[in-house]
Amino acid sequence: MKGYLGEFEELVLLTIANLADGAYGSALLRDINERANRNLSLGAMHSTLTRLEEKGFITSYLGEPTNERGGRRKRYFELTSNAISALNDMKSLRDELWANTKINLAR
Amino acid sequence: MKGPTQPQPPKLATRLLRSWSKGADIEDLLGDMEEEFDHRLLKDGKLSAQLSYHRHAVSLILSYSLKRRKQSAAYSHYYHSSNLSMISSYFKIAIRNFSKHKLFTSVNIFGLALGMSICLLALSITVAIYRSDEYHENKDRIHQVNTYIWNEQESKTFGSTFPAVADYMKAKYPFIEQTVKIKSGFSPEFNHHGNTISFDGYFAGASFFEVFSFPLISGDPRTALDKPFSIILTQSVAETLYKEEDPIGKSLETEQGTYLVTGVMADLKQTHFYFDLLTSHSTYEQLAPDTNLATDWFSYRNNYLYLLVQPGTNELTLSEALAQVSATASEFNPNHTIELESVSLSNVVPRWNISNAIGIGWDQPSIYFFLSIGLLILLPAVFNYTNLSIARALKRAKEIGIRKVVGADKGQIKAQFIVETVLLAFLALLGSILIFIPLRQEFLDLVRAAEVLDTSMGATQITVFVLFTLLVGLFAGIFPARYFSRLNPIHTMKGSLSSGAASVSGIKKGLFVFQFFVSLVFIIGVGAIAKQYSYVLNQNHGFESDNVLTVPFKNIDKQVAINELSAHPDVKAITTASSLPGILIPTTIDVTPNELDTIPVSQVFIGEQFIPNMGMKLIWGESQQLSQSTQNEELVLVNEQFLKSAAVFNVQSDSLTFTLADGTPCRIVGILEDFNFEPLDRLIRPLLFRYSLEQSQYALLTINSSDIKGTIDDLDALWSGIDQEIRFDAVFLDDEIEKAYSFLRAQIKIFSYLSALAITISCLGLLGMVAYTTENRTKEIAIRKIMGATNQSLYYLLTKDFIKLIGISALIAIPFSYLFYDKLFLYFLLRYGSGLGVTEVVVSILFLLVVGFASIYWQTAKVAHTNPSKNLRYE
Repeated sequence: MKGYLGEFEELVLLTIANLADGAYGSALLRDINERANRNLSLGAMHSTLTRLEEKGFITSYLGEPTNERGGRRKRYFELTSNAISALNDMKSLRDELWANTKINLAR
Repeated sequence: MKGPTQPQPPKLATRLLRSWSKGADIEDLLGDMEEEFDHRLLKDGKLSAQLSYHRHAVSLILSYSLKRRKQSAAYSHYYHSSNLSMISSYFKIAIRNFSKHKLFTSVNIFGLALGMSICLLALSITVAIYRSDEYHENKDRIHQVNTYIWNEQESKTFGSTFPAVADYMKAKYPFIEQTVKIKSGFSPEFNHHGNTISFDGYFAGASFFEVFSFPLISGDPRTALDKPFSIILTQSVAETLYKEEDPIGKSLETEQGTYLVTGVMADLKQTHFYFDLLTSHSTYEQLAPDTNLATDWFSYRNNYLYLLVQPGTNELTLSEALAQVSATASEFNPNHTIELESVSLSNVVPRWNISNAIGIGWDQPSIYFFLSIGLLILLPAVFNYTNLSIARALKRAKEIGIRKVVGADKGQIKAQFIVETVLLAFLALLGSILIFIPLRQEFLDLVRAAEVLDTSMGATQITVFVLFTLLVGLFAGIFPARYFSRLNPIHTMKGSLSSGAASVSGIKKGLFVFQFFVSLVFIIGVGAIAKQYSYVLNQNHGFESDNVLTVPFKNIDKQVAINELSAHPDVKAITTASSLPGILIPTTIDVTPNELDTIPVSQVFIGEQFIPNMGMKLIWGESQQLSQSTQNEELVLVNEQFLKSAAVFNVQSDSLTFTLADGTPCRIVGILEDFNFEPLDRLIRPLLFRYSLEQSQYALLTINSSDIKGTIDDLDALWSGIDQEIRFDAVFLDDEIEKAYSFLRAQIKIFSYLSALAITISCLGLLGMVAYTTENRTKEIAIRKIMGATNQSLYYLLTKDFIKLIGISALIAIPFSYLFYDKLFLYFLLRYGSGLGVTEVVVSILFLLVVGFASIYWQTAKVAHTNPSKNLRYE
């Protein structure tokens, strides 16, 4: 596994997977803010995206010029195979831990 | 697409983010931000959207993402990298240049420091004046009421208002929380341990300390000004009167009554008021029982009103109320247009033009005048810098050529020179602060009431100084910067720039002439005022002042004193007067020449033999009858001016009778030639001499003695023989008169300082210019020497240009100074002065020539005397 995956990074990767073709900065921010009830800033969002890109979990490409947002292009993000395997590792680790828990976690 | 009416994201934040990213690609980030903005706009409205936009911008500026993008963009063409290293290189080169050209640097620093010192003084005083009354807790709610009066005679705005306005407004308008009535002109004379001491102050309403936040050192601020005849002293007055004792509860005797001290307040600081003491407003009501202040809608002078409005009252409510009051006031004064205006406390000083302003009344015209004098001194210093820098082009052209070849653009060359100049200006600031501190003390001592101003170096003062220095640096640096940034690198490298830039030509000549013009005008000013000073002291102005000893009577028995003193053998003559000739006359009286109109007249009570003793000239009648007044008719002397004023009204122009305001009928028995009874800066006013020993305040003794001191001691002994209690304070009339002209001494001092500054700065400039031109001609001079030129011809060669320029500036300065001083300045300073003499002008020009020539000679001698073979090897 290349690099450690933090809680927020995992959240961002999963949201990218959720939004699929529509995964760009502002959409990700709004989705996470609504779903996780947070109030993140764009700076924090993009810092994380940049780090993930450096670690090789995502790649990015610029889209076509748009009508809204002053005609500016969007930067879209895609998961790499590294990310998919890292997310799978994470999930299996969690499942294993959930399955073996001695205390009843269910609500 | 967005319509034009839809709110746009804040531009500033966008621009900030763009400039911070320095050309890195942030298109998608800006897009994200705008999308967020639009999203928020729909959801929460404009304000929230803007706030969140700013938040995102800041978070992006601080983000890791942008830092990475900038790093990767750093290798691209469009990226203009961090300025920090460039700026530090500018500084490094600047400092190296300073230390390499020490003469140039020190001439400039010294010159700028001198020039800036006056500006710093003017700025610090301006700042202090503008910051007056900032410390009052209620300052935003306090308003002064001003009165604009328009009638046939005048159209003016007064700082004062009608006495009736205060109670009228307080009763009618509930938004007025409190009013403070202030009446100026409280000038009691206290009998204190046998001496009379006079002070100036105000009659102030009981709410004075409630509205204003002046700290009371002792006494109760709520009740201190309640009762009539209660008085509040400032700390310095309390110390003068009582030294260590506690003044509270002490009583002070005056002719009007006995005052009780109810409080001591700290000395005034940073306020538009100016007083030594305050008494209650009710005192005024008791002293003048005839006037009913509540209905006085007529006298608008010397009554001041401050309103404290309720919190939250807006300006409009107040101005509407004042408009209504103005209408009421106009009903009482049918032929006047009256408008009441409110001025908030912080704007009371400085104003443009206010009549009858309370306190000192600092006004904007004087501030601007002072600031422009400062600039007039500073400008030559700035020109020096510009001149010298461009003259040095030869030395630095190569450096600039190389920089340009290596790839510096115009902006960078400009930045280099501007950084250098600003740095130099800040070094000069340090120097000028050293000059400014003693200068400030001198100046504050000269100016009346300046002790109220707080000119100590606070944060505001320092900020203003720093901004000012920055401006000076930018202004001085911009011309050399532009000049150098336009140089052609190829020419500079070839060295073909040499002669053109180094010679003295065109605009440089103009700046030069200007400098010497300013210096000359100031030097001639010193000469002109000094001449007036000696003129007023050494000339007789229509009366004899030599050897006249004046003795204030105080409470002594006047007739006895005269008899005793005149018995002394050295006293040739003795007379009495209510005020001294050559000094201001304090009392005026209204005179009615035709039972209808009145003219104000200065009156002086004189004793027997006053006219002959003082050597005054009568053009008609005689003075001996004066003492023979009867009960029906008082016999008086007048001056010609009196007749001229009376002639305007008098139906029978040959009438010699008139009545005084109190109904006394008078008859003129003698007419005096017009002369300056008051100081020479005063117009000759109508003058009335009445005979009265009772009203006389001084004995005037004409002394003829070889041992002045012995005579005075003898007289002192005679005086003490009459009354032990009363001091014998004899002063020569000449000394008293000299005191009356102390303002001239202050003027001389200021002008001398200014001209010293102007001359020093001009000579520094001259020195620098001569140094560089001779340096550039070193080889030429060496060759001339070898070919057989004499030292004299070399001096002539090197100095003729400069001498010619000084000559031109003298040609401009002489007519200008004549017009300015003779026709304008001296007339306002001293109406009956002697004008500008030829001697002062000639001496001033010679002085400047000598100083200028000395500084030229110093440099040229160096070159002319060195061995030519050494000079040929130069460079």
